[in-house]
Amino acid sequence: MENMPEFNLYRPETAAEAVKLKASDATSRYLAGGTDMIVNVRRGIETPRTMIDLTAITEIAAISVGDGDLRIGAGVKLSKLATEENILRDYPAVAQAAASVAGPTHRSYGTIGGNLCLDTRCLFYNQSQWWRESNNFCLKHKGEICHVAPGGKRCFAAFSGDVAPAMMVYGAQADLEGPGGVRTVALADIYRNDGMDHLALEPNELLVSIRLPNPAAGTVSGYEKSRIRGSIDFPLAGCAVRLTAKDGKLLELDIALTAVNPYPQMVTGLDGFTGKALDDQALDAIREVVRKQAKPMRTTTIRPWYRRRVVGALARKLVARLSA
Amino acid sequence: MDGDGVPPVPIPSIGQPLPMVDGPEKIAGKAQYTSDFYDPSALTGVIKRSTVAHARILSVDTSAAEELPGVHAVITGSETDEGHGVLPIARTELPIAYDRVRYRGEPVAAVAADSVEIAAQASDLIKVEYEELPAYFTAADAMADGAVDLHEHRLGNIERHVEFEIGDVDGGFAEADLIHETEYHCAEVCQVQTEPHAAYAEYDAERGELTVRASTQVPYYVHLMLAKTLKMPKSKIRVIKPYLGGGFGCRTEALNVEMITAMLARRAKGTVRTVISREDTFITHRGRQEQTVRIRMGMTKEGRVTAIDCHTVQRGGAHSGYGIVTILYAGSMLFAIYDLQNARYDGKRVLTNTPPCGAFRGHGTVNTRHAFENALDEMAEKLGLDPFAVRRVNLIPELGFTATDQWINSYGLPECLDIVEKASGWKDKIGNMPPGKGLGLGCSHYISGASKPVNWTGEPHATINLKLDFDGTVVILTGASEIGQGSNTILVQCVAEVLGIDPSRVKVVDADSRVTPKDNGSYSSRVTYMVGNAAIEAANNLKGVLVEAAARKFEVSPEDVECLGEVYRAGTQDEGMTFEEVVMAALEGTGTITVKGNFDTLPESWGGKKYRGAAIGGTMAFSYAAQVVEVTVDPDTAEITVDKVWVAHDCGKALNPLTVEGQIQGSVWMGMGQAMTEETAYHDGLLISGNMLDYRVPTFMDSPPIEAYIVESNDPNGPFGAKEAGEASLAGFLPALTSAVANAMGVRIHELPVTPDRLLQLLEDKEREMGASTAAE
Repeated sequence: MENMPEFNLYRPETAAEAVKLKASDATSRYLAGGTDMIVNVRRGIETPRTMIDLTAITEIAAISVGDGDLRIGAGVKLSKLATEENILRDYPAVAQAAASVAGPTHRSYGTIGGNLCLDTRCLFYNQSQWWRESNNFCLKHKGEICHVAPGGKRCFAAFSGDVAPAMMVYGAQADLEGPGGVRTVALADIYRNDGMDHLALEPNELLVSIRLPNPAAGTVSGYEKSRIRGSIDFPLAGCAVRLTAKDGKLLELDIALTAVNPYPQMVTGLDGFTGKALDDQALDAIREVVRKQAKPMRTTTIRPWYRRRVVGALARKLVARLSA
Repeated sequence: MDGDGVPPVPIPSIGQPLPMVDGPEKIAGKAQYTSDFYDPSALTGVIKRSTVAHARILSVDTSAAEELPGVHAVITGSETDEGHGVLPIARTELPIAYDRVRYRGEPVAAVAADSVEIAAQASDLIKVEYEELPAYFTAADAMADGAVDLHEHRLGNIERHVEFEIGDVDGGFAEADLIHETEYHCAEVCQVQTEPHAAYAEYDAERGELTVRASTQVPYYVHLMLAKTLKMPKSKIRVIKPYLGGGFGCRTEALNVEMITAMLARRAKGTVRTVISREDTFITHRGRQEQTVRIRMGMTKEGRVTAIDCHTVQRGGAHSGYGIVTILYAGSMLFAIYDLQNARYDGKRVLTNTPPCGAFRGHGTVNTRHAFENALDEMAEKLGLDPFAVRRVNLIPELGFTATDQWINSYGLPECLDIVEKASGWKDKIGNMPPGKGLGLGCSHYISGASKPVNWTGEPHATINLKLDFDGTVVILTGASEIGQGSNTILVQCVAEVLGIDPSRVKVVDADSRVTPKDNGSYSSRVTYMVGNAAIEAANNLKGVLVEAAARKFEVSPEDVECLGEVYRAGTQDEGMTFEEVVMAALEGTGTITVKGNFDTLPESWGGKKYRGAAIGGTMAFSYAAQVVEVTVDPDTAEITVDKVWVAHDCGKALNPLTVEGQIQGSVWMGMGQAMTEETAYHDGLLISGNMLDYRVPTFMDSPPIEAYIVESNDPNGPFGAKEAGEASLAGFLPALTSAVANAMGVRIHELPVTPDRLLQLLEDKEREMGASTAAE
């Protein structure tokens, strides 16, 4: 069994206290469900001396109806997100994405905050200490080279959270609590296209909640992921679509992708499709736009070629289904 | 006789769907597996593994590790120069590499310490100096001219080259209306049993004695290899197999974790517990090898196979393991399923710098069967024949010997075919299914134990002891390994049936070398057949003792005693004696009763001598299976959904229909994993898929309804007619799946597993070709 290293565990009851504790040790890490991070700790990828367990902070564990938006605490479990009535009704892509994460036990531990802040993944990174050492480590952790794109100085580890794109198509906002207080930014803006450092959070900042704006509530949406197995697997490619259509014409179209880049991304260049009929030609064109913006690399055992193909296929299928 | 005048009858056990006798302990969490043995004084064992794929070891510096407080033993390859292995002719693998490492992950040192933290720290402090050698990760590279030999005694890195020709192959091809050649590639797969490998070794320094608990299918082989590698008398060693979380073949030989843990315990003069990680369990490997199979087949226009020429290459990994046996099975198991008279076989087992492969469920047969069945379907399509018709025209016409002298005494394949054809609605569906849906058929077979054991000692194949004492409990003492397959339950049923007693009266004590008779272990589906027969003989012997005791009390001759299980009587009017009374009578003057039963294979089943190694493939009975798989393929994503599987398995007689059904479903499911999702992947010899995310065992969500049908052909020599039930249904899934996909999409995939990226590539290639041909018109 891979050894679980020793660390100090704190269990604060407020977000402010958590942020303060976090700042006390440069190696410290926030711990929510732990379904992904504990694996990395056992593998020696993360070596925190201090862990801050967020599960006692009640203020981040609830879903509440706010003024103009639905506020989802970062500590809300994925299983709750997948089954909550108003989310199923008003933001179906979010519920579908949450329901598609890993397996039932993971979802009953894993939180939305953890899923949004998931570390990027790569075959050459998510391995044991012995394995990475045998392979001279990698750019993302302790090493000099990227085994996915040797010669380059960029890390292509893929962001593999399912829920981020589903929230992004609703224009979600993120509340971040830091040493200086709370700030609110677009959820899309907490990410950057860098596998090594994909979260654009300030030091010690904690994601406390996500806001899904009301105006978009009730519009049709969906999330689909490609994976080899019907459960457990991270997405090989994931796609969220939200649209409004009338009389066969597209009025609004938002598409976001996951697992095909180091960050969850909004697909751009879709404006040309609004106001027009959605025929086979348009659907094929949407598929091509999506494929062009997906840049998966050899971060899983399944070939990037397929992941680019399939993310386009998923987008096309979703747009067709949702506009029907 | 009971109160209402109904005469007592023997209680039936055979054919009853009894729940497994060890089920309650497992369900309640009370069953103790190897890693559950834990003494506060036990040290933790950690194995240090090679970071390079192929190198000379120039030095191993353990000084810093030894000085670390809390470290009690540090061992290296100098601990033993005795190799281990399955076959007496191939025992060259050292528990810890000495002067050379041959794969990434091979043990190079080990540590026992007070805690896992200290042991891991000490392991890091051991410095190994390597001089790297060229490394070969494919069979082709290892066989290339000028490649460095991994083992000095295996030139050209060929572990074994098997060549034979049976019948008149050229004549057979001349007779054919169609000759067709095809090639299939199967990725390497691992068993991924629930329980990672573990060993718990106690060394009694006072007496120089060793007790080892090990997660093994073969405690006897572990015993032998401990004695050999530790250079200890066998009498100073005791091996116990606790509850086991599956094996599927990866534990059918002694593994380095067991020997290393024992060596650490001896060095530390204490107790050492080693539980290795899932990754290290993957690396210890002994899975099914990567393999390419090329088959050239001749067929008449009616579908009769006139000859085959089969070339295959297996990437065996860095050590022999079961390799020689595997490459022999791949040839011999071309036979004994259909009427095949003319065959040429050329099989190479190649040594490579990857972890050593072994004996995975369906050992040796699965990949060649996959290619063979696909070849049948490819040719059927060309000849316009139905897949069922092609199988039927090739059925074995009468029982007896194959062209390779394998012995067939029962043959339920025709009935298996009839059942799945009807149950699946094949005749109505085939050719009439909507786009994206398809059906495929696959047949397969397996042995019921290898008739010649790898260790030829002159002993019977199986021995059972029964003990009966004042309490009226019949205790079965068996060395056979219950590994989750239900062997203890089967033995209880065999003994209870012969005696006609309540099966709850029969208890099992198993797999402890100090207590139970030696047994070769649980592999090649030998236990039900061989140990079951020994149990029947033992129970008959016990019954003889009891009948004689009853006769003495009744003052009649034994022939006049009627044994009704829980009651014995001398005549229908007689009130009789209860089982307990008979037992007390039998104990008079002798005390505790112990009887024995043996089983030995018949020489006719030894597999003949038509080529070197032909004994591999000899068995007392072959089991047979046929299955139909129905799939739906998404044309855009190439994702395959298995809608349903209909499978019929001829197991001779279902001693326990419940466990037989479980075994059939498990086999199909495991075949599905190999066919669709599972494969190992390496990066310069480093196992990149050594975890359960990247090595994709199917989940609940991927499991189709599996309709299992039991065919009972009643084998004349099997225990109550039974034969193998746990392996034959695996191999048929693979070709049934590729044929179903071919039926659905019009493309036949030649590479396993059929992941969506591979399939989508083929679909797009086909679309392009069709586009090009349309354009050309």
